[in-house]
Amino acid sequence: MLAHFWVAFAAFLVAIVLGEWQMYVRSPLHAWVNNPEHYYRSVTAHGTVMAYVLPTLVAMGFGYAICELALKRPLIGLRWAWMGFWLVVGGTVMAAVTVAAGKASVLYTFYPPMIASPFYYIGVVLVVIGSWVWVALMSINLHAWKKANPGTPVPLAMFGNVAGAYLWAWTSVGAATEVLVMILPVSLGLKSTIDAGLARVFFSWTLHAIVYFWLMPAYIAFYTIVPRAIGGRLYSDTMGRVAFVLFLVFSMPIGIHHLFADPQVGAGFKFVHAVMTAMVSVPTLLTVFTIVASVEIAGRLRGGKGLLGWVKVLPWDNPMMLAVTFSFVMLGFGGAGGIINMSYQLNETVHNTQWVTGHFHLIFAGAIVTMYFMIAYDLWPQLTRCAPLPAGLIKAQLWLWFVGMMVLSMPWHLVGLLGMPRRMAYYDYTHPALQSQAWTVTASTLGGLLLVISAVLFVYVLARARSNAATPDTFTFSLAAYPGERTPVALNTFGLWVAMMIGLTIVNYGYPIAQLAVLPQTSVPAIPIGGP
Amino acid sequence: MDEERLYAWSNPWFRWSMVSLAALTVLSFLVGFVVLPSVQPDFTAGGIWTSICRAAGLPGSWGDGSPAAAKDRASTDVVLTLDMAERASGDAIGRGATIAVEQCSMCHGAQGISEANAPNLAGQYPEVVIKQLHDYKRGDRVSTLMQALARNLSDRDIADIAAYYDSLPKARTAPARYDETSAPALVRVGDPLRNIAPCIACHGGTDHKLGAPWLEGMPKEYLVVQLKDFQAGTRHNDSHAQMRNMSRQMLPNEIEQVADFYARRSKAGGGG
Repeated sequence: MLAHFWVAFAAFLVAIVLGEWQMYVRSPLHAWVNNPEHYYRSVTAHGTVMAYVLPTLVAMGFGYAICELALKRPLIGLRWAWMGFWLVVGGTVMAAVTVAAGKASVLYTFYPPMIASPFYYIGVVLVVIGSWVWVALMSINLHAWKKANPGTPVPLAMFGNVAGAYLWAWTSVGAATEVLVMILPVSLGLKSTIDAGLARVFFSWTLHAIVYFWLMPAYIAFYTIVPRAIGGRLYSDTMGRVAFVLFLVFSMPIGIHHLFADPQVGAGFKFVHAVMTAMVSVPTLLTVFTIVASVEIAGRLRGGKGLLGWVKVLPWDNPMMLAVTFSFVMLGFGGAGGIINMSYQLNETVHNTQWVTGHFHLIFAGAIVTMYFMIAYDLWPQLTRCAPLPAGLIKAQLWLWFVGMMVLSMPWHLVGLLGMPRRMAYYDYTHPALQSQAWTVTASTLGGLLLVISAVLFVYVLARARSNAATPDTFTFSLAAYPGERTPVALNTFGLWVAMMIGLTIVNYGYPIAQLAVLPQTSVPAIPIGGP
Repeated sequence: MDEERLYAWSNPWFRWSMVSLAALTVLSFLVGFVVLPSVQPDFTAGGIWTSICRAAGLPGSWGDGSPAAAKDRASTDVVLTLDMAERASGDAIGRGATIAVEQCSMCHGAQGISEANAPNLAGQYPEVVIKQLHDYKRGDRVSTLMQALARNLSDRDIADIAAYYDSLPKARTAPARYDETSAPALVRVGDPLRNIAPCIACHGGTDHKLGAPWLEGMPKEYLVVQLKDFQAGTRHNDSHAQMRNMSRQMLPNEIEQVADFYARRSKAGGGG
């Protein structure tokens, strides 16, 4: 577990420096980067690490930890887990070297007909295969535990964990099909054309649901760690289970909202996907409600009275309290922006602008990664047998991250509305139309700088923990406000929800995929990347 | 707890989740495929079934179907594929040399370096020569001389000529680089706000795109004429109108400057 976290955070540190470099070179503080190839190389590395490597390793490490801490038994298949880990590490190194060599500047979203060196795709595939080992182990461990504990409800943390694992298993099928069946044959030179439209539809299958895979560890932390850490109770265990299964059903068949501007998909399907996208706001709203209610319980337990009196007495000096507040603020802004993105018409205004970059940085790098930090801080005493980490430094780190992320992403939202395109290596600030927007890019660069400082502080706190050895208290998850509540079988098993997930995917994706697959003359010549 | 049957209509979780998911799906399909298209005249012109098909991304007919209309829109019939860029066999080069000496060398030079303001072909990418000869042959690129010559070439002749010129050494082998400050800004970084991409993003330097010709050492007059023809639309065999769009935004002095830069490099002397 520890190894997963260390590799994840080391890669994270490198990628965040790359991200800041990207902001710096395209800000007015630096002359134009004359070779945009360097810029796209950096964007590819940043995206690949942040989107595939970091969340996968955190989900895997946290998942194994939950297995042992919540089920209170050793992990079955430890050797397999190590194999999965090394597959992820090997894949990461392979992809990173290929990107650094300039042979794979296709961004982490691949964008066929651009075609990179096969080593890049094979590297990403290895990362995904490594994570599939984790999926299988989670399922095996859950079933072994159930067999040994008939009639006992699965602990909420493990329930969410396995929901995340199943979600990822099905989510990754889209991009895996795209890479293995469509891209790799071209990349290996067996074919010279590719059906870019179909490939993009396959990628959209993964592209949106992957966000919920990133999000699962954060939500598990909301439900099972936050209430305990701030001295409260979880308002409703059932609500947590409902949120997890709703993610399972609705996160997949909605990805076509990323293709609103793509001509190869019919308008009807775009609308249906927009509707289903709206549905994923339901589990998030349920979660916000439940967690705020749980926090209120903590406030009341501390003697808070009246309509809002409980807010004042909350443990504001507790890092977890700070983290969940920051996370919800960023989730609020990011979520509101997301509802604009998924609306078929409103999307027109912001499609492919900096607005979108701002949106996913707020949600992922803001709301979710803040909780990754807290997961690491919370687990660290267990993993390294150290004393609890210094709260002062943690709070400073969280403040830096929150302020940095807001300063980074709010200007992006603003200029996105003004039409600034994303994925640009440089902007011509001497042009009168752009001059008035130049300050926003400088502001984002400064926000990015705060994020780098915060990330360094984060790794420093974790690294220093070793010097402060101690025997940690037994790890506990939050207690429900009404313990002993009956858990219906529907919320203790996954069969129904997995069936709905697959069924809905077939309904929403079956026709567009089948139609594009049989339509003749839809392939275009591949564009190899990394030429002279 | 486990005795409770999940997959049974009597289980409220099963009943309600199935019914609500089915209702949501049916409702959103109805709105997306029937209600919304019904307010769009172009969707409903052919009745309800046509409108559903269109919403699914299946128009009744692709285009208006007439070959003449398709021909008007297309700027070229050549589809560039990676196999065109592959190195050919010695045989092909030999056959290509025979044809080239006979038909091409008068203008394009004995070694593929022109003394007559025709483009240099030495070391030109094979797919470029293939595409241009096919375009001449089909009349997609206009030149009295070249159209007449290309008319008699077979597909194989064209591939062989391309292979031959690919095998000859280029006038200069290193492309312009992004950090060469002597290069005009348009060559290195383009002009984003006028939608002009840098020359070296496609023609070599930072990247080379399939079908984009090698420009280093080309005669200046040739480059100027081509850019102006693209600008005026009299040359239109760039499949995605990429060169027409780039050149349309260029000022006359910028055309001069860029052409001068690429041409001057041949005089800087071979090798390189």
